[in-house]
Amino acid sequence: MRFFFAAQMAWQGVVINPLRSGLTVLGVAIGVASVVSLMGIGEGARLAVVRQFESLGSNVIVIKAHDAKAEFMPEEAEELLERVSGLKYASPVVRTNAVMRWRRARGQVEIIGVSSDFPELRDHRLVSGRFFTKWHVEQRSPVAVLGYNIGAGLLGGRSPVGQTLTLNGQTYRIVGVLEKKGPGQAESIDDKVVIPYTTALKIAGKKTVDELWVKAESAKAADLAIAHLGRIYRRKLGFDVTAPKPGGGEQQQMPGKEGAEKPVETLPAPQPEDHRKEEKPALELGKDIITITNLNTLVEEADKANRVMTLLLGGIAAVSLLVGGLGIMNIMLVAVTERTGEIGVRRALGAKRFDLLLQFLMEAFYLSGMGAATGTALGIWGVNLFNRYGFNAVISAEAVRVAVFVALGCGLLFGVYPAWTAASVPPVEALRR
Amino acid sequence: MELLELRGISKEYRSGRGTVKALSDINLSVKRGEFVSIMGPSGSGKSTLLNVIGCLDRPSTGEYFLDGMKVDRVSDDKLSEIRNRYIGFVFQNFHLLQGLDALGNVELPLIYRGIGSAERKRRAKEALEAVGLSDRIHHRPSELSGGEQQRVAIARALVQEPLLVLADEPTGSLDSRTGRAIMELFQKLNTERGITVVMVTHDRDMARYGRRIVRLLDGRIKEEEFIG
Repeated sequence: MRFFFAAQMAWQGVVINPLRSGLTVLGVAIGVASVVSLMGIGEGARLAVVRQFESLGSNVIVIKAHDAKAEFMPEEAEELLERVSGLKYASPVVRTNAVMRWRRARGQVEIIGVSSDFPELRDHRLVSGRFFTKWHVEQRSPVAVLGYNIGAGLLGGRSPVGQTLTLNGQTYRIVGVLEKKGPGQAESIDDKVVIPYTTALKIAGKKTVDELWVKAESAKAADLAIAHLGRIYRRKLGFDVTAPKPGGGEQQQMPGKEGAEKPVETLPAPQPEDHRKEEKPALELGKDIITITNLNTLVEEADKANRVMTLLLGGIAAVSLLVGGLGIMNIMLVAVTERTGEIGVRRALGAKRFDLLLQFLMEAFYLSGMGAATGTALGIWGVNLFNRYGFNAVISAEAVRVAVFVALGCGLLFGVYPAWTAASVPPVEALRR
Repeated sequence: MELLELRGISKEYRSGRGTVKALSDINLSVKRGEFVSIMGPSGSGKSTLLNVIGCLDRPSTGEYFLDGMKVDRVSDDKLSEIRNRYIGFVFQNFHLLQGLDALGNVELPLIYRGIGSAERKRRAKEALEAVGLSDRIHHRPSELSGGEQQRVAIARALVQEPLLVLADEPTGSLDSRTGRAIMELFQKLNTERGITVVMVTHDRDMARYGRRIVRLLDGRIKEEEFIG
């Protein structure tokens, strides 16, 4: 009963002075809106990066040679599956360009040559047809799987599977079309043509590849595999495998070694100790020649970096929320002074201190509550507005929760003091005003 | 039966340089159904006395019995309850809440008594009717004349069905004709409903509506005069 009346009278307090209430609400609303929208931007950026990495497939390790002399034989991919436990799929990767002809149209396309493990490796399904097989790869068959955009473009939406096109003048049979990944996702695979790596090497005129992809059974297996892979390639480049690993992190980088032999199937014998020592400065100055990257780790790192960013943005916004809360305190204190007469009358008529405490506290609560509601609406609107201008902001439930919680908390916290002041005014003094 | 009994009441205020004695050794008793006017020049302590009687302020020393209860040392919340149950206030400048209409203002004491909405409204309407304002129920104070505002304030006191109505210069902000009408209303409530009225005024004509005049000077009772 008492609460109900206090609530009612608090509401009167809000309504009686609409301008004052409106401005207070606005202060809180701006705080809440900035928390919601800024955290939305941060969270959106984080999700975009995470999604981009995830579109490359989970538990994928990329081994990349940055020096022509360190490139891999394509067969190494298969060999890694046998040598390193926990690996499930592997593929060499050949990137090249070709002139594509489809009926009368022609144009440059990006080609990516891979093994038949590709769909499993990249967690990529097909919308029509099927992927090429191991047999196709061994036979260097002229078969092609199209990225979604290319596949959908050829026959205006109808499946082009079974049709043929030419790449650099050679005829290819279209065997499948990949599922859509979205703009910028999975290295823009939607706009590429996927063919067997053997065929692609022919187009590129090469015998070696500069990139290998392997997929581990699990995140844990990926962690173990990366250590193993590190040892393999370090030894291959002629390093002492017992030397402490640089950084010891998930991403292993091997500094270049002057005069390092081009790696071949047989590992070069370790060089004499003194010789290596002599070479050491050159090693540290040289650029990485092979990098082994666990994409999981990249996702985590990007996630972490962006989380910091989100928190930072949220922190800045929280300051404005705090200012909004202080606004409530300010307004409520003014209200208490302004309404001392009212307080006196209420006391004279029988209001207890608790009644007044409750009334003023609830008034502050209403103001912050309305601020939180308005702010959330403004924030959501802001997120949509940001998105219209090219941001990838999302409405994060967490941000809304935090903002609303903080706003209400501020309202209550900063309402307590004025409410207490109001309740503590002796009725005689209050009436004298 | 004594409704009010003040024994040796004094009240001191701490001010900048020392203490100011607003009331000293007041002995006063008021019977149920009396109409007492308290007169005196400004600074004589009449408002302080009214505040003590109204349980808005505690005496520094002395004993105060209201309807047989000793109330000079009870808690703040208990005083609120006593005011709510026993005492109706009418002030010089009305002290109505501007945001509420006449009905809302009159309902207020009943809210603090915890009475339900329907019952409150019924009783508030009755009280407004008793002061002749049944056609002004939904007017806000700013839409009412001074006399009407004071009637709303009286209705607000009446709705409590108090034993005692305390009026502090109730006609002070009104012209003399309106003032007389208000005083007649007090007189009517006193005679018809038997409500005890204690009023502070410095206006001799208004004071004569009461049946006893208590004169204060420098915080002491100087003389008492009984009328007709």
